[in-house]
Amino acid sequence: MTTPLSVPLRDSPKPIYAESASETFQTMTSKLNNGLTVTSQPKFGTFCTVGILIDAGSRHEVAYPSGMSHYLERCAFAGSSIYKDRDAVMLAVEKLGGICDCQSSRDTTIYAASVDRDKLEPLMELLADSVYQPTLDDNIIEQARESINYELDELDKKPDPEPMMTELIHEAGFRGNTVGLPKYPQAETLHQINRASLQKFLRSYYLPERMVVAGVGVDHDELVTLSEKYVSAKSPSWSLDGARESDASVAQYTGGDVKVQKHFDLSMSVVPMPELAHVSIGMESVKFTDTNFVPFAVLNMLMGGGGSFSAGGPGKGMFSRLYLNVLNRHHWMYAATAYHHSYDDGGLFCIQGSAHPSQLRECVHVITQEFAKLTNGIDKVELNRAKKQLQSMLMMNLEARPVIFEDVGRQILATGERKSPKQLCEMIDNVSNDDIVRVARHMLSSRPAVAALGDVKQLPDYEDIENALTRPDGKLPKKFRLFGR
Amino acid sequence: RMQSTQASVQVNTPETRVTTLANGLRVASEDSGLSTCTVGLWIDAGSRYETNDNNGTAHFLEHMAFKGTANRTQLDLELEVENMGAHLNAYTSREQTVYYAKSFSKDLPQAVEILADIIQNSTLGEAEIERERGVILREMEEIEQNQQEVVFDYLHSTAYQGTSLGLTILGPSENIKKINRQDLVTYIKQHYNPSRMVLAAAGGVNHDKLVNLAKEFFGTTVSSDNQDPSPLKLQPCTFTGSDLRHRNDHMPYVHVAMAVEGVGWEHPDTIPLMIANQIIGTWDRSSANGAHFPNPLVRRMAREGLCVSFQSFNTLYTDTGLWGIYFVSDNDNIYDCTIRVQDEWMRLCTDLTEFEVSRAQNTLLTNMALMLDGTTPICEDIGRQMLCYGRRIPWPEMARRISHVNISDVKKVMKQYVWDSCPAVASIGPTEALPDYANIRAKMYKVFH
Repeated sequence: MTTPLSVPLRDSPKPIYAESASETFQTMTSKLNNGLTVTSQPKFGTFCTVGILIDAGSRHEVAYPSGMSHYLERCAFAGSSIYKDRDAVMLAVEKLGGICDCQSSRDTTIYAASVDRDKLEPLMELLADSVYQPTLDDNIIEQARESINYELDELDKKPDPEPMMTELIHEAGFRGNTVGLPKYPQAETLHQINRASLQKFLRSYYLPERMVVAGVGVDHDELVTLSEKYVSAKSPSWSLDGARESDASVAQYTGGDVKVQKHFDLSMSVVPMPELAHVSIGMESVKFTDTNFVPFAVLNMLMGGGGSFSAGGPGKGMFSRLYLNVLNRHHWMYAATAYHHSYDDGGLFCIQGSAHPSQLRECVHVITQEFAKLTNGIDKVELNRAKKQLQSMLMMNLEARPVIFEDVGRQILATGERKSPKQLCEMIDNVSNDDIVRVARHMLSSRPAVAALGDVKQLPDYEDIENALTRPDGKLPKKFRLFGR
Repeated sequence: RMQSTQASVQVNTPETRVTTLANGLRVASEDSGLSTCTVGLWIDAGSRYETNDNNGTAHFLEHMAFKGTANRTQLDLELEVENMGAHLNAYTSREQTVYYAKSFSKDLPQAVEILADIIQNSTLGEAEIERERGVILREMEEIEQNQQEVVFDYLHSTAYQGTSLGLTILGPSENIKKINRQDLVTYIKQHYNPSRMVLAAAGGVNHDKLVNLAKEFFGTTVSSDNQDPSPLKLQPCTFTGSDLRHRNDHMPYVHVAMAVEGVGWEHPDTIPLMIANQIIGTWDRSSANGAHFPNPLVRRMAREGLCVSFQSFNTLYTDTGLWGIYFVSDNDNIYDCTIRVQDEWMRLCTDLTEFEVSRAQNTLLTNMALMLDGTTPICEDIGRQMLCYGRRIPWPEMARRISHVNISDVKKVMKQYVWDSCPAVASIGPTEALPDYANIRAKMYKVFH
């Protein structure tokens, strides 16, 4: 071809474009005879995203060695009855012009792929085979173990505290149960994960009534037909009559503290990083079907925060409280961020801060004070800004097809119906100052969850933190030591 | 044969509509009816238009964009943007400067007005300029910590030595310390002309409304050099095969970027060159896998543990390009690693398989299509293509251009641009064992007996 790219190809077919009016937000859902749910939504683009979501995650692993679902994630797309090995899967997906991956979280495991929308049928066959017919031979199990060992090693080495802090604050908030169970396999029990335990886990949880087939950018009837043909009809590679052990417990918020004393090796990082200690203080929030869920989401936006050196222009939440009251005022604070973790039976709202280990006490102090201030109510302008930013974040995230896929799939899996973005925006609009004060009071009446990582010798006592959070000013008691230290 | 001239194809994306205003500003948009949108200005300006004396001005100017205008103080601007749930962003590259906003679609008029204001009425206050100097100098320190960025700057400075493409985007610190208000004003007058700008948008954007907004807020802007209607003449930047090494034995790894001169944006050979890139591939040790990959270079690197990572690249400019590979290895392996990379280049010139080519076509198409998800990536694609090609290439045409490449096209471009050519090589780290330039050059062809 010798035509420059600036000149249209003469023999190129004339495109007939889609009209914007044809884009709708209608989510369709069907239930198949065997209990499998199929849901879909239309969307522009040459691609569709389709996947199988399973109500199985680390929260269901109380009777198993930790990290079963993480381990299964590593064995996913590594070989199944139709595909000899990972390369065979990769080549097959490439032929469909797409990509695939598997991700497990505390409550859900998702096998998903994005492919050219004409290739839906072969894709469904591949997905069903990957979920129901994993090979799980010695080779694959060994490779997964190696890759997890490498991952755990990296996790330990990397200065990024995020994955570990999320683990620790969940452990502190929901000690020994459900979402408080570790997501990552533990080095000590990793060897206990073998074919037998993996198959027992699959037998117990990979059931049609715990599964949703979700598709974005597909025709609903076609998806239903293909789900019947490939997913429902597929028999599993594990035997159905072995022992089963499934956990149906409801999340129990406990509060409490978890400290991990650790020295970060900073020589590996490219950008020089100061030595930091990290602390997260959490309080009980609500499940995502609760009427107070949306006020908590607004509260999260209102607190905002981030890193003290974060890039980007206006719009990154520079007037959120953790920026205005914490990062802009206390330059020794390296980062301060609010998080809301919510599940279908409980939740945790937390503020995480990072500072030099010698300032860990002051770091806790500014966090407890920010918590306490919430009961004073918030300014109308501030509230409106947080609501508007939450709405825009929601809608902007939902521009991307994989995000829509996950949103639709997770909502249907958890509640059987999907709240549309429009409904959620209306709910956000309705949040008032009273709602914020109410959820803040409710939250502050719970026992705190405290997680700390790094050189944590200066972390205040748990009782002091608990005490500070019951005071209207959120102040830690004065530290008086006659003999130093 | 099918009647190709009459054939049509259904596309599941909305059309990109383009309108040119009387002053030369091009307005291009794709309306997907979403409740959010991205809108921005893509400007044909960047460090390539600078000289040794004013290198860094384009980037400095970008930094001043959010620091207040004649109509808004910096705080006003920040509050307004935050309160409407919008985002503002900007970046500068060697040939393009971009300012864009993300917002609710209903706020499009406000977003366009804000963009117009920060581009046309920026205060460029002395105090803010002074403050920003410090910020840019710190940004520079951060970039210097990123060896990949450093090595690509070195690559440009050696490959395009003596020309403006050899300059860095940030400019040298001497310039950052002395750039003043007048320099910035001059730069705007010279380069921020409507005929060199594209107002691009994607999301819930009605094209006619966008055109009206463009007329309202940009329509009166005329080129400051409107006496001279001839478009700015781009100076050619000559490529020089050469070598630049920064030996530092304290660093654990050596970073190398090696490239030949490819072609510019519009050139049809860019497609087979991209396919060649895709065949060579990308790999990272942490991806753990690789020993069984169909890609021969990945397989070899993974099995023999010769490098930490490698990544083939095709950096395009208006009339030239850098086609090459970036790799990271250590002192013990860098020699073998370089040889393996060059062996692979030579293999592509002679022993390519159909299977590799069709696989690479597939992945290239997939990657390109997957990227077009969300209003910001789509808007970026529109803005960039309008500046580079003067149009947005319809997806079926792009797909056709890629799928029509055959094995001999790839071999042909490899022979033309890679075989027996003088590469530019840039490196940083413990470079002692890196083959010297004569050796590298001698590996750019093979003698067959």
